[in-house]
Amino acid sequence: MGNPPSAPSPDVVLEVQDLVKYYPVKRGVVFKRTVGQVRAVDGVSLALRRGRTLGLVGESGSGKSTLAKVLVGVEQPTSGRILVDGIDVSAMKRAQRRELRRRIQLVFQDPYTALNPRMPAGEIVGEAYAIHPRLVPKGGRARAVRELFDLVGLNPDHVNRYPHQFSGGQRQRLGIARALAVKPQILICDEPVSALDVSIQGQVINLLERLQDELGLAYLFIAHDLAVVRHIADEVAVMYLGSVVERGTETEVYEQTRHPYTRALMSAVPLPDPSMRHRREEIVLSGDVPSPAAPPSGCRFHTRCWLAPLVAGAASDSADVTIDEPAAVPAVCRTDRPELLPQGPPDHLAACHFAEKLTENTTRAEAAR
Amino acid sequence: MPLLQVRDLAVEFVTADGVVRAVDGLSYAVDAGQTLAIVGESGSGKSVSSLAVMGLLQSPPARIPSGSITFAGTDLLTLSRKQHRAFCGEHIGMVFQDALAALNPVYTVGWQLTEALRARHGLTRRDARRRAMELLDLVQVPAARQRAREYPHQFSGGMRQRAMIAMALAMDPEVLIADEPTTALDVTVQAQIMKLLAEIQAERDMALILITHDLGVVASVADTVTVMYAGKAVEQGEVQRIYSRPAHPYTRALLRAIPRLDHKGRQLDVIPGRPPDPLHLPDGCAFHPRCDRAEDVCRAAPPPPLAELPGGGSAACYFAVEVMADGKPAERAES
Repeated sequence: MGNPPSAPSPDVVLEVQDLVKYYPVKRGVVFKRTVGQVRAVDGVSLALRRGRTLGLVGESGSGKSTLAKVLVGVEQPTSGRILVDGIDVSAMKRAQRRELRRRIQLVFQDPYTALNPRMPAGEIVGEAYAIHPRLVPKGGRARAVRELFDLVGLNPDHVNRYPHQFSGGQRQRLGIARALAVKPQILICDEPVSALDVSIQGQVINLLERLQDELGLAYLFIAHDLAVVRHIADEVAVMYLGSVVERGTETEVYEQTRHPYTRALMSAVPLPDPSMRHRREEIVLSGDVPSPAAPPSGCRFHTRCWLAPLVAGAASDSADVTIDEPAAVPAVCRTDRPELLPQGPPDHLAACHFAEKLTENTTRAEAAR
Repeated sequence: MPLLQVRDLAVEFVTADGVVRAVDGLSYAVDAGQTLAIVGESGSGKSVSSLAVMGLLQSPPARIPSGSITFAGTDLLTLSRKQHRAFCGEHIGMVFQDALAALNPVYTVGWQLTEALRARHGLTRRDARRRAMELLDLVQVPAARQRAREYPHQFSGGMRQRAMIAMALAMDPEVLIADEPTTALDVTVQAQIMKLLAEIQAERDMALILITHDLGVVASVADTVTVMYAGKAVEQGEVQRIYSRPAHPYTRALLRAIPRLDHKGRQLDVIPGRPPDPLHLPDGCAFHPRCDRAEDVCRAAPPPPLAELPGGGSAACYFAVEVMADGKPAERAES
């Protein structure tokens, strides 16, 4: 997985290089031994820019939440580097790390369990000031908390209420206010709107966009809803079984898709337009995501890929297509793991041996040719 | 006559703080082979209404002060609870959102299916087992023979949902109620399940009632739509019309609030505020505090009734015809 060493750009606030996180699978009660590894994150490289949003999409089990945990320091990476403002996190001293934790904050998915039910909302939001006393602005903690409430669109008079007295959308605002208390540069948002009703989702998304404009925050926006990600993200990375399979600007990934998995994900999102019902390309992937404890060989996606059999069918003289398996997967997909390579624009990357088969308007029939 | 008809249904819950009217005057009908989508946010009463149809509400605290639920000439609300359950067992099946909670964790999936088949059709153990395998094949569970020996927790989310659909189909229902069947699933698996439901529905000429908050799913499968807000149906009609010319400001606002995959768009239009507290519903139209079209008449009692629209369908808004004439909800996104 040779990633070309990217030139450090002044805008990049967070860079991840070849990040790997394996969890050991253990057997035995007394004498525990490691019998395998769950490859949750397996060689991911990403960059986050100041004032910009990177959307991260993928199905459950793709490793997107594990990546978030590693980035905020809840989990230690197995290997790979995390650079914040160009400085390697693993080389940092204790005090520097504490400072780092302040700069990267997390907004959780479930606003119901992320807040301590026995703590008044104001204390939840202001709690971090106990750890970072020098961050308390002039006028004291209470005033800072009221200002934060105002910033996220909550009534500052509600600082003494408890979490259960707030609605789902308001709790998510509390979670955002808590993250903003320590003046972070980076927000990792792990499915921040998926637990909310449609009418409330839009309010929280608009709030996040406004805060980004006002405070110049960089967002890593993790979600499984591709429409929400398209709306908020400037750049998008698509993950499958621990690896990024496609990366590029929002327009590149959504309109010039170059990976069959991305194409399948997008065709599976139902459009809110009944007149499109039978006029859209539909690719229904078979089966579930394979276990990250035993990922498929070669290209991880080859067991569910819709493009590979079409390509193999086109090259029917190739030796690995037998009569028993008429639409087999090309040998290269089963043996070689494809690298994330530029597709046209230098920043639009896709990891597929046959990415060139998927140009802008290729339908499935055309890809077979 | 429609296969299943709900008329003027009301459901109330008696709580310590007062009586909550969770469903208020709901009417709808479905025919064989048709798909009705009931759309609404959490707390709109969409799930409670289907639990009432199935006879699954705990009473107390729930009570049904008025209405009728007629299936092929039989009013289910005149039956005893036991008769009601038995009747639904034969004619109306239900698929729940959380398949892990709906399946029994201590029995294998195959055992649960086999038992259901034996109880319903009086099959011998051997015949029931064969039929169970056929059903698991039908819902496309791979290696059905082996998977039947596994427990629900060993199934993935999508497989569990398939097992539950198989369980509902074992009863040979004429109506299938699916309550958020794909909400907890990934989009790729959601597409598989929706396709499967559509195939089975067509094959069996079954009526499908789909309860969901996902307007994308509704657009891709429903024939008719009922939009609920604060316990009431605020708009009903044919799916094309609802999406192209919504007549209720709530429907229009919902359609505007969803981010779309096919274009980026700028600021999302939002619905200000939040759904009302069911214990303290606002006077007049329950949507008026969040409505962009509200006038004095909307704030005063009584709330607008569900009235017929020119060209079919109905909406509960004094300005329905105007709202409908305003044009497509998607048009503002291009501007």
